[in-house]
Amino acid sequence: MRSPAAAVAWEFHRRHRWGLLALGAYVVVLAAVKFAMLGGQRFAFRSAESFAFAVVVPTTATFLYFLAVFTFGLEGDIAARESIYPRRLFTLPLSSEALAGLPMLYGCLAAAGLWLVTRALAVWPAKAHVPAIWPALLAASLLAWTQALTWMSYPLRGLRVVITVLWLSSIDAIVMAALHFQAGEGVMLAILAPHVPLAYLVSRAALRRARCGDVPDWQRLFTRSGSGASRFARRSSPFASAFASATTAQVWFEWRRHGRSLPLLVAILLPFELAMLFLFRETRAIVVETFVIILFTPSVMAAFVAATVATSTAFTATRPMSDASLIAAKLKAATWSALISWLLVIVATAAALGLSGTAPVILDGARWLVKAIGAPRGMVAILLAFAFLIGSTWKQLVQSLAIGMSGRAWLAKGHLFVTLSLLAVALPAAHWISRSKPAMAALWNAIPWIAGILVAIKTLLALWIATRLIERRVLSDRALLAGAACWSAAVLVLSAGMMLIVPAVLVRPYFLVCIAILQVPLVRLAAAPLALVRNRHR
Amino acid sequence: METSNAAIAVSQLTRRFGAKTALDSVTLDVPRGGVHGLVGANGAGKTTLIKHILGLLRAQSGTVRVFGRDPVADPVGVLSRIGYLSEENDLPGWMRLDELIRYSRAFYPAWDDAYAEELRQAFALDRGAKIGNLSKGQKARAGLLVALAYRPELLVLDEPSSGLDPIVRRDIVGAVIRTIADEGRTVLFSSHLLDEVEQVADHVTMISQGKIVLSAPLRSIKESHQGASLDEIFLAAAKEG
Repeated sequence: MRSPAAAVAWEFHRRHRWGLLALGAYVVVLAAVKFAMLGGQRFAFRSAESFAFAVVVPTTATFLYFLAVFTFGLEGDIAARESIYPRRLFTLPLSSEALAGLPMLYGCLAAAGLWLVTRALAVWPAKAHVPAIWPALLAASLLAWTQALTWMSYPLRGLRVVITVLWLSSIDAIVMAALHFQAGEGVMLAILAPHVPLAYLVSRAALRRARCGDVPDWQRLFTRSGSGASRFARRSSPFASAFASATTAQVWFEWRRHGRSLPLLVAILLPFELAMLFLFRETRAIVVETFVIILFTPSVMAAFVAATVATSTAFTATRPMSDASLIAAKLKAATWSALISWLLVIVATAAALGLSGTAPVILDGARWLVKAIGAPRGMVAILLAFAFLIGSTWKQLVQSLAIGMSGRAWLAKGHLFVTLSLLAVALPAAHWISRSKPAMAALWNAIPWIAGILVAIKTLLALWIATRLIERRVLSDRALLAGAACWSAAVLVLSAGMMLIVPAVLVRPYFLVCIAILQVPLVRLAAAPLALVRNRHR
Repeated sequence: METSNAAIAVSQLTRRFGAKTALDSVTLDVPRGGVHGLVGANGAGKTTLIKHILGLLRAQSGTVRVFGRDPVADPVGVLSRIGYLSEENDLPGWMRLDELIRYSRAFYPAWDDAYAEELRQAFALDRGAKIGNLSKGQKARAGLLVALAYRPELLVLDEPSSGLDPIVRRDIVGAVIRTIADEGRTVLFSSHLLDEVEQVADHVTMISQGKIVLSAPLRSIKESHQGASLDEIFLAAAKEG
């Protein structure tokens, strides 16, 4: 191996050989099915879902895997401000052109090759016209842009995720619009051709800056605004005011480290969303849709931020605090983070609705609800909806603590892989069930059993974790009882609220209790201190 | 529990990482007061032993007690009495020095503001400087400041001067360690630089391939190996071990 290009290619192969081997096996199966079983003929699939299971889901999963591999996303902190490009490669005697170009070349070849192989070897529906080139170019473009945007340094933590998602979505939207207007292969190629060179130029510039440690920092601007007072305090006293307790200090630490990310991300996105209320004030449907999107923004953003919250360092591990107190500090900071984000959403949205004149559209909806189910039930429904949205924001922030605090990278990656795989299978399955009457009937009959089994599993897991917590003396009996009481109270309130809104004729009360039990977080939350204990005292 | 005379008592401690035995039936008593040097080549097991003392590793077999307490079962009771400075210096880079001091002070009731300021001035550290922007030597000094400002009963230094310039090494080795020992507190000081340990240690424990090959007061080691340097003694002990 004498050339840098070969060495870089070898590293990709060596690190990901098992994944690539599994991919090779899938390709062999595809080819065997097509040529050995069907003799190269096209096949009349019984439904779109069958085709999705056989071709679309594995191809999409493989493409996502390529994104993670060729962006080096499996090695770094995706939410960090710093470039995700491995720093160890910056010290190689290679130009920034080569550092950007080689992984991009291999990534684009892999993404385009994935399409060409799938097109050649997959069994396609009999009457389908399968384009040859532009999907390969689209795959390469999406991969190249993902590389460029993940290798770039950002002024705020978590901004990478937002910008990457928005940019890739806009490329997808352009392609979808072109398909909608039945654009030909030539037009599609013209639309997509500039993307890879542009992404290369952006990534080269990004790596040049990242290589010399140039990371923009807007957080300094935020701290600078309040620096006058702190400078005065620093002058008057050697070390400013003290924290009331170790717990307060640790909550401050968690807030400074992770807590501000969610309010900041929400604050960045919110103006764009609120602008829609002003731009489309005359179109009722868009106003309602925008309002719903705004309401889900904090919990969606919280899912992205969660990975950064669930981390622990050697510095934190050596603080003279109990494991439970360290987790409690994270939970408190997450609570503040969720509440401040929601305060921001409520105040800004109320102001925007008032100023744009779209408030009547939303108030009409509320009035309709009150009229339909009565004032008390309507009020409870609205309160429950807000409690659910705020609660789900907090839940998103803390539910992966158990995995993150374990400190096992393989567990976090495995969890992500399993979640994506389940989603890839669950979405087509749900679609198929919704269109099949026998399947819907069977599912409807099985729902009480499914809910019962899930509740039983959750209860057993919770009991097992509680036993471990007591055995290892991670939590005091009092803390454990207080936790159990809070959880029970939340389940009771949620059940009572749902029972008030949903008539017993429609849904049985026991089923609503099951939903409340499954909805209020318990197992993963209770497992977080245990995970920290295993990580902190390996 | 508190009647234990030893600051650190390790008994028959064994630790394996996969097939590799990092610590093999290690037994060590560090009495209160004085400087205890822990020497050994890179990978000998010094950091693994220190991580057990801090409760960052759970004993697979054997026991570890610090001031008579189990550091895994009682991290608050143990860590609040230990000052720790590691080779890796994992201070949070996003904090300013004054924030680090304000934050650290909350954990230690015995924190001494005047002493912290004295150390800050002695180490020539800027209160408003961001930790991430400090040089390696300045970071070591900042770490030492927050490890010392509450006058811990036990100071654990894990290769504190590794890769640092002679001036920082002098700060750590010469001035600080000796002062703490003179105040009757205990220092556990790990290093692979034998001359550094020789300057300050009262008692030396040599560790090689996870085993303790020699543990005795420095004076008696020197007396029993007349004329030999600590390097030569260590090499001989490692061969015998």
